[in-house]
Amino acid sequence: MQASILEVRGLSKRFGGLTAVSELAFEVREGEILGMIGPNGAGKSTTFNLIAGTYPASSGEIVFKEASILGLAPHQIARRGILRTFQHNRPFEGMPVIDNVLVGAHRLFTKNSHAEEAVRRSRAEELIEFVGLGGLAAADVGTLSFGQGRLLEIARALAGEPRLILFDEPAAGLAPAELDRLAEIIRGIAARGIAVLLIEHDMHFLLPLAHRVVVLNFGAKIADGLPDEIRRDPAVMDAYLGSHAAHS
Amino acid sequence: MRWLGAFLVLSGAAFLLGDYHNDVYRKMLLWVTLALGYNFLFGICGQVSFSHFAFYGIGAYSVVILLFQLHVPLPLAILLGVAVCIVVALAVAIPATRLEGFYLALATLALAQLFVVLLNEGGDITGGTGGIANYRLPAMLGLQIRGPWYTGVIVFLLLLTLWVLVKLDRSWFGRACRAVRDNPEAAAAMGIDVARTRVAAFTLTSALAGVAGMVYAFVDNTVNPPIFGLENAFLLLFMVIVGGSGRHAGAVIGAVLLFLLPFWLSPLVGHHHVLVFGVLMLAAILLQPKGLIGLWDQCRHRFSR
Repeated sequence: MQASILEVRGLSKRFGGLTAVSELAFEVREGEILGMIGPNGAGKSTTFNLIAGTYPASSGEIVFKEASILGLAPHQIARRGILRTFQHNRPFEGMPVIDNVLVGAHRLFTKNSHAEEAVRRSRAEELIEFVGLGGLAAADVGTLSFGQGRLLEIARALAGEPRLILFDEPAAGLAPAELDRLAEIIRGIAARGIAVLLIEHDMHFLLPLAHRVVVLNFGAKIADGLPDEIRRDPAVMDAYLGSHAAHS
Repeated sequence: MRWLGAFLVLSGAAFLLGDYHNDVYRKMLLWVTLALGYNFLFGICGQVSFSHFAFYGIGAYSVVILLFQLHVPLPLAILLGVAVCIVVALAVAIPATRLEGFYLALATLALAQLFVVLLNEGGDITGGTGGIANYRLPAMLGLQIRGPWYTGVIVFLLLLTLWVLVKLDRSWFGRACRAVRDNPEAAAAMGIDVARTRVAAFTLTSALAGVAGMVYAFVDNTVNPPIFGLENAFLLLFMVIVGGSGRHAGAVIGAVLLFLLPFWLSPLVGHHHVLVFGVLMLAAILLQPKGLIGLWDQCRHRFSR
């Protein structure tokens, strides 16, 4: 079994009286695709934001590469090698595609040399090719379709050479043909040895893709295991389809 | 080489102009210098600040007070003047940029107002409402730089400012500034320290404005409060928006146009040229958000097809 790269233990988040995430524990291993699913309001997005540093946790521990990242700001977490995509595309509108991708490489710049810039630039071009935006490096981001914008999010996150990449509902809003392409890209990322944490609402997209799955409901983990085990788990069926469907 | 050519052409022009036109020319160059710095702050880093012109004044007053009230030697006075600008810029930027953009606008507006109040109330140190006048640039190495030769100093300042800003803009720092402007949350997610980037850009451009102010102090050999009022802070914003924010060429075009416009308009409409500025500004925002440089791009695009 691969060593774990991210470990979450006893993680809780309360917003006032509401507990969004409660005593959550899971791990992401090197090179694996860990899927996290759950119905709306299950606490997936909150968990995502706790790991990315958008919100501070109420209690618990988040350990990345054997060091705690709890309480760090988003940019500090990114610098340690956890990069993310946004569910609602957040491009840098005033820059062409290639510069958007180069911003992703920000954490890697050590000096201000032409040589370094040239290396990063050719690397960014490879990534643009890898996600399937070949030929659009110089394009204005405003001209991209929604689906292309999602691919740009991925290229930008990859440019920072992450050890762990966080996907926030990457399938949301994409057409079926785009979903197949997206799944292929995510498999390709894992094949490069990058750990993937994939938060997704769409079970049909996630289950064939993930190596392991964690299921949340009402802020707590209700199941984890291999995709096949999750498919057969009555608690998961119950959470997704409602108790009537499960009992009838 | 191109820089040297630009220096020779721009400073050479001063020798062809009479005293009056040389004076207009120098002030135009100073406005261009200021607009370039303000464009980096507002157009590239996305910070709405109203204190840029106040820093011009802080630089001017600092160097004059240090030289003629405190009798500090010139090189030291320049260094201390820059230090004053940096300290004031940090004092404003660190608390303000940690908040959202609106608060930076308010804090810098307050600073700009406070600066003018301090100048008026400064007694013997600032010369009060009358300011300080009748001083002269100290001789350096036995040389007294004056007339068109001083225009060379201004051209050097302009080109140095442009060179620094172009270098920065093309570096990862400039890209980080644009990322922070376009989407701070996404910038942070890519490892950019948003607050630090904003503070660095603010402090750097404020210091550049301060240096320009130091050079300005010896153009008219007088500094007084009305010169550094808020009106000019807004004019600077207009220049960058009308010219095309985020582009160095846009800042140059905007500064030259809005600086020279009153000279052409005054014989026609008197002091109503401010109205024309207002109309231009509205036209730019409503019809051409990319400014005149954007218009130029469109024309070129159309003709190249």
